[in-house]
Amino acid sequence: MNSATAPESPKLTAATSGFVLAAAIAALFNTALALVRDAYAPLNGVMKSLTGNSWTAHCLADLVLFAGLGLIFTKTRAAEKIDADRLTGALIGAVAIAALGLALWFAFV
Amino acid sequence: MNISTSDAILLAHAGFGVTGCLAALWVFLEALNAQPGNAGRTRAAALVTAVSMAAAWICGGYWYVDFYPAEKALILTGPWPFAHNLFMETKEHLFLITGMLAFLLPVVAREKLDSNAAARKLVLSVAALIVITGLAVEGAGAVIEHGAKVALLRGGAKGDR
Repeated sequence: MNSATAPESPKLTAATSGFVLAAAIAALFNTALALVRDAYAPLNGVMKSLTGNSWTAHCLADLVLFAGLGLIFTKTRAAEKIDADRLTGALIGAVAIAALGLALWFAFV
Repeated sequence: MNISTSDAILLAHAGFGVTGCLAALWVFLEALNAQPGNAGRTRAAALVTAVSMAAAWICGGYWYVDFYPAEKALILTGPWPFAHNLFMETKEHLFLITGMLAFLLPVVAREKLDSNAAARKLVLSVAALIVITGLAVEGAGAVIEHGAKVALLRGGAKGDR
């Protein structure tokens, strides 16, 4: 699964870059889904009907997206083209936006 | 001593969460001093992080679904409703990000950190994010429990008068 990297190369393997990009997307999706669920009650009902508890369905959606996108990006090598430092920055930015978004939403809305 | 199933699961949840944070800190320190000799330890610590966070997720999820509704009702009638409205609502979603980062850590720790500066920076970042969000979630858990405590204490105090 992993591609070989040169000793001094700043490149990441396909699996690493793929799952990092998947994690950044899944973090943002997690917050977006939380906000939509909070703002639109019928969605909670639909998610509850799937697993018995809407939070459990939320967990499964996050994990399926993270694992699914990670595998797709690894297979297609789509994220390998992105600069490693840029990918790290994207992950930090996505987690910061997702975390702040959750806190601000539940504090003020 | 009377420790209920609810208490045991809740304490296991917090305990596994702290273990996951400490293991992520261990990965951070190993990555700071990345050498061929400590690559195995780094990967082992990353695996401990993922397993601990998975255990914290399972215990916390079970407790949240089965036992929290009664505590939520108590908190909302007490003087600290924000313990649920802000802290639990944020925690129950922020933890999912911490969990995914914990699952990501063993993947990124497979890189050759001693010879790849970009990979080392990535591992340091992921480990630091786990520690920061993990500690935020642990702190939120303390506020939630205090929200239930003040609801009981002040409710009891009112009843005594």
